Amino acid sequence: MADSLLSYITLAMILFSIGFLGVISRKNIFIIYMSIELMLNAINIIFVALGRYNESTGPQVIAMIVIAIAAAEAAVFLSLIVVLYRKKKSLNTDLFTSLKQKDFSNE
Amino acid sequence: MVVDLIFIVLAIFAIGGGVGMILFAQPMYSALSLIVCLMALGGVFALLSAPFLFMVQIILYAGAIITLLLFIIMFLNIKNDELPDEPNKIVTIAIGAVLLIPFNILILKAFNTFPDKPMNILGNDFGDIHSFGIELFRGWLVPFELISMLLLAALVGAVVYARKEKIDG
Repeated sequence: MADSLLSYITLAMILFSIGFLGVISRKNIFIIYMSIELMLNAINIIFVALGRYNESTGPQVIAMIVIAIAAAEAAVFLSLIVVLYRKKKSLNTDLFTSLKQKDFSNE
Repeated sequence: MVVDLIFIVLAIFAIGGGVGMILFAQPMYSALSLIVCLMALGGVFALLSAPFLFMVQIILYAGAIITLLLFIIMFLNIKNDELPDEPNKIVTIAIGAVLLIPFNILILKAFNTFPDKPMNILGNDFGDIHSFGIELFRGWLVPFELISMLLLAALVGAVVYARKEKIDG
């Protein structure tokens, strides 16, 4: 079971699906951030599994670059969460609508 | 087989951590489940003969990124009644899971056409820090330098965003 490429790909796809479901179904912005991290990790698993399959180290380097990008993303995303929480006093993504088109029918 | 058993246990921990992450209402519990999931994925990296990535995953992901996340969650100090209420969370997850099944089947069918090859752990120095560094600095030098600029830009951006603004009226 641990000898076949397909089991690793299955694990990665299950984790990617869980991350995607987290992004579409939750309104807490922290959970959305964590789901994005989970999706990045699932893709890393696919990279490393294919690298092991072809016996090449290149995909492991790509996976490390993805981890570095995730670190940069964490810094920016978390400071954005702090700013949004300071302004709106909430974590609900339904309230972050500053860029939405104004609804003139209610005025 | 011992390796199969290790893989199954790691997969159970990873999937359980992920499911717990999207189901818990409290962000703190979600972050702790995510740490379980990422540690298990580090073990999967070790099974795939990537010992250096295993260390990077444990130290950088579970140790640095999620700790930063936990720090921010504790820093904001969110009360229970300030959490957004999500009444139809389970229904959305169920419908989304059903809709994702064809996509997953497509990907798995595509990978199923690959010829079968043994994926046992390579004993020689494949994926350790020496071969990893050789590959990184021979084949991936420009992306490596770009990453340093990206990290600097993210650092400056984070400081600029989170700085206290002057309130004018």
